[in-house]
Amino acid sequence: LLLGIHGLPLAKRISLDRAAEIKLSCRLKSKYSHLKNLQVTWKKGSEIIPHNKTENGWSIQLMISDVSKLGSYSCILKGEEEMRATFYLQPKVEAKEKPIISYRGGMAILICKVSDYAPVAWTWYRTNGSEQIAINDSVLAHKYVINRVFANITHLKILKLTEEDSGIYLCEAAFKLGKSKGKLQLKVLTYMVPLKPFVAVVAEVVALITIIFLYEIYSKKKE
Amino acid sequence: MQAKDSNPPDGGYGWVVVVSAFMVMGLTAAVLKTFGLFFVEIQQHFDELASTTSWITSVTIAIFHLGAPVASSLCVRYTHRAVVITGGLLAFSGMALGFFGLNMVWMYATTGFLQGLGISFSWTPAISIVSHYFSKKRALANAVASAGECAFAFTFGPFFQWLISQYGWKGALLIIGGIQLNICVCGMLMRPLASGCLLEARHSRAETPPGSGASRTDEEKSPITHKTFNWMLVRRPEFVLYAVFGILAAMSFFVPPLFLVPLSYSLGIDESWTASLLSILAMVDFAGRLLCGWYANLHITKTVHLLTMTITLISTSLMLLPLANSYLSLAIFTGFYGFFFGTTVAVHITVLADVVGMPDFDSALGLFMLIRSTGGFVGPPLAGLIVDMAGDYRAGFYMAGATLVLSAGLLVTLDQFQQRKERGRQTNAKPEKSALPYPSLHLLKLQ
Repeated sequence: LLLGIHGLPLAKRISLDRAAEIKLSCRLKSKYSHLKNLQVTWKKGSEIIPHNKTENGWSIQLMISDVSKLGSYSCILKGEEEMRATFYLQPKVEAKEKPIISYRGGMAILICKVSDYAPVAWTWYRTNGSEQIAINDSVLAHKYVINRVFANITHLKILKLTEEDSGIYLCEAAFKLGKSKGKLQLKVLTYMVPLKPFVAVVAEVVALITIIFLYEIYSKKKE
Repeated sequence: MQAKDSNPPDGGYGWVVVVSAFMVMGLTAAVLKTFGLFFVEIQQHFDELASTTSWITSVTIAIFHLGAPVASSLCVRYTHRAVVITGGLLAFSGMALGFFGLNMVWMYATTGFLQGLGISFSWTPAISIVSHYFSKKRALANAVASAGECAFAFTFGPFFQWLISQYGWKGALLIIGGIQLNICVCGMLMRPLASGCLLEARHSRAETPPGSGASRTDEEKSPITHKTFNWMLVRRPEFVLYAVFGILAAMSFFVPPLFLVPLSYSLGIDESWTASLLSILAMVDFAGRLLCGWYANLHITKTVHLLTMTITLISTSLMLLPLANSYLSLAIFTGFYGFFFGTTVAVHITVLADVVGMPDFDSALGLFMLIRSTGGFVGPPLAGLIVDMAGDYRAGFYMAGATLVLSAGLLVTLDQFQQRKERGRQTNAKPEKSALPYPSLHLLKLQ
């Protein structure tokens, strides 16, 4: 991963969905290449990490095997001015990208998953763009059931669906070093929605059968 | 019945039947093939394991095979048309009831059992009636009808995905059920051939001068025995040979679709390119079916010989496929496999008709499907075992190729047997060309 540095602090968020080997590198933009005597350090928080110098930059190689290795990694260039770029390594919360479709009166299960890293806690929110409301399943136990199936998978079961339940839901995984969110969209339809094309198709079938039947009677009468 | 079937329309309304069978193939086999798209949705909705969910398709396939002999005996007793219409209603009810999605067992019963029964009752008579309507052009007609499966499967993939994204899996099931009702429309078009044994016997009776009492009861009785399911088929060595061929072929036919995707991933090919491999498979399958039908129609080679050649070619492609080490080579071998698979499917029903003859064809078809299904059940676990032991998906392809070589051997044996029988019959047969007033009666006596 390459990053060009110029005067302002730069940040990049990287979501990881599984344990991986990562190479982070900082590269100076060509217009600054004239700068000499640059002291480069890579830090995780306050801890200094040994780095390798490459042709046109400085890089570190990391094995992200568990949650403790996540966090923020910065490369700091000290010359006349100090330049810094930070990579935020976060676990990725996997959630279905396509909307989940359910029917009124039924139930829906929203699932969020984090591979390889087990969150400390999960929280579910309902959002309508600007505000987030936490879902409390103990208060509204007849409506919402939150189940932590495995340490890294959470289920939100919504019962007795109505159209108002349509919208965007967020599942937030809390780790020791931060939080990650996943987004899910729920659409609640009435039974009328699929019924219309269904009735149309059935009408077409009945029409065709009638036509064929009448044609056969007609041709038999001709004989 | 035999005399009338030896003068089938061979065209004319027969082509309407072919188109209608083409549609039925699409609305049954292609729906079954594409049902996998519903798996993840259903699995997540009921919070079940993937293996539990996949039982739905296992039930559908099992009922499809078990229902085939039932369907064909019903065809013999009632008409093909009635059975297809019943099948359409059953398939529709399976999907429509599946819409209510009460629990997993409900899904097994509806999208599993009812759908399987519906598919069985629609597919079997549709395939069979095409063979009844044609004799010289039978190969071409069968090939065109079977191509329906590929054509529909190609479009159903994206179409089902769109339906699921618009209406959810429940709504999609309901709409697909409605679409399957069109099977009934196709069934309506499958006019029973105006012949049939009873009608013919009536004609002959009207022309016979009164007084030939004994011969009359004879011709009344034999047509009726023709109308029931013929279990005597298992006594005929040709049928047994062909049925065993069917088992071996079925054992190897599922392997490539099953293991192609994992093999592709293990070669480092990503998801979208792998999906394109499956599209290539479907397209060359379609081309293979049509081309084989056209070629078989030229009557240059005997259908049995043609089938032996196509089976050998498939097994060669399968044996070579493990040599693929890149997307291009894999795509080429997949193309060959798919093409020859299409040619085999196109011609194997015609070979069955040539092996057993038209009077027993309906019963033979049902029985053949039933016996063949054992291969389909034994195959997957066996191949999985071999792959696990070898630790490589390529072993599965070698197994499939080897099984097909064995099955080709059976076909050669069958052909030798038939040729010997032909030679025997030619030396023993009395001249049939004399002008007989009631040719049907005479042929019945010979059998």
